[in-house]
Amino acid sequence: MQEGFIDYQKVLDNEEHAIKSTQSVIEKAVDWFRSKSMFVLAYGTGCGAIEMPPTFTSRYDIERLGVVGVATPRQADILIVSGYCSYKTLKRVIRSYEQMNEPKYVIALGSCTINGGMYWDSYNTIKRLEDYMPVDIFVNGCMPRPEALIEGFVKLQDNIRNAKRKAGYIKYIEDNEFYKANQRKIFGDNIEPTYEANFEGMN
Amino acid sequence: MIESLKQHYNIEQKDIRLFKIVIQKEKFLKTLSFISSNSNFITLSQITCTDWIEDKLFTLNYILTNKERNKNLMIELQIPREQSKISTLLNFFPQAKVMERDLHEMYGIEFIGNPTLYDFALENWKEIPPLRREFDTLAYVNEQFEFRRGREDNRDVKVEMKKRRAEAKRLKNAKK
Repeated sequence: MQEGFIDYQKVLDNEEHAIKSTQSVIEKAVDWFRSKSMFVLAYGTGCGAIEMPPTFTSRYDIERLGVVGVATPRQADILIVSGYCSYKTLKRVIRSYEQMNEPKYVIALGSCTINGGMYWDSYNTIKRLEDYMPVDIFVNGCMPRPEALIEGFVKLQDNIRNAKRKAGYIKYIEDNEFYKANQRKIFGDNIEPTYEANFEGMN
Repeated sequence: MIESLKQHYNIEQKDIRLFKIVIQKEKFLKTLSFISSNSNFITLSQITCTDWIEDKLFTLNYILTNKERNKNLMIELQIPREQSKISTLLNFFPQAKVMERDLHEMYGIEFIGNPTLYDFALENWKEIPPLRREFDTLAYVNEQFEFRRGREDNRDVKVEMKKRRAEAKRLKNAKK
C-alpha cells in the first residue's frame, strides 16, 4: 500500500470514475505545459500549513516540479486545503476557490479533510471536505510528510496530462446545486453568490 | 503589595505565585475597581468560566497579573446559570472586551455594558452556546454531518494488536 494514498483516494482512482480522454494534439500539448507550471495559492488552514514551507523551500524544493507559490487567488491554479476547516474558515476557503480562474484544482491535505480526523466530534469543524467543494487529490496522514504532498502533486500532474478523471472545477459547475445545498445547510442563506451572474442593470 | 491587599480582603495563597480571593457577586465591581487603582495588579490576563450544572452556577475567575510579572491574583465569584448577567470590566481593564465577547459566545453570559457581544468565532450559530454542558456535542455532530464509511479492509485494532503481541512472544520464545 502506498503511503499517503489510501481511503478516499482509492475511490477516486477507481475505474468507474475514469473518463475517456478526448484530447486533441494541441490540447494534449497545452495540458502538458499546464502540468509543468502549477501556481499554488499561499494559503493555509489549520496545522497542515506547517508542512508547506519545507515543501516549497530548499529541503524538498518542489519548485523543480514547476510548483510555485502565488499571493492571490486570481493568479493561482491550485488550492491546498491544509487541515481542518471550521465553519468560519470554510467560508473563506470557498470564497478563495470561487475567485480562482479555471482550470483550478484542489489538494486536500491531512485526515481532517477526509473524515474529520481528531476533530470528528467537534461542533464547528466540517468532516468531509468534498461535500462542500470538489477535491482532486486527497493526501492522507496526520500530518502527511512533505514527500506525501509531493507525491500528491505528481499524481495531480499525471491527472492533468492524461485527463482521465473529471477535474474538480468541472464537477463544481455541473453539480453546483449539490455543493451549494450542502453549503447552505451549515451557513444558512449567508453563502457566496452562485456562478449564475445577474446581469440586470448592466449597460 | 499583597500585604496591603490583605488588610482589606481574605487572601488565600494557592502557590508561590498564585493568590486567590473569593468574593460575592454584589461586591464584584467594588473589589475590581479597588484592586485596579490601589495595587500593582494592572493586567487582566484572562477570564475563565466553569460550568457547575448540578449546582446551577457558573464560576468566573478573573486572573490578574502584577507589574513585575511574578504574581497572579485570582478573583473568583459565582453567578447563577440561568439569566447569567454580570457587569463588564471595560472601565478598569480595556482588554476584557475580547475575553467577554468570547465567554458570551461560548457560555451565553451577558456582560452588561460591553458593546461587542456579537458573533466572534462561530458565525451564524443558532444552537445554544456550545460550551454549556447541556449542549450535546455528539448528538449535534451526528445530526449535522454524515460520516464516511470505514475502509473495507479495516481491522479491529485491539484484536490486531493482541495477535501481533502473541506472534512476537512466540518468536521470542522460539529464539530461546
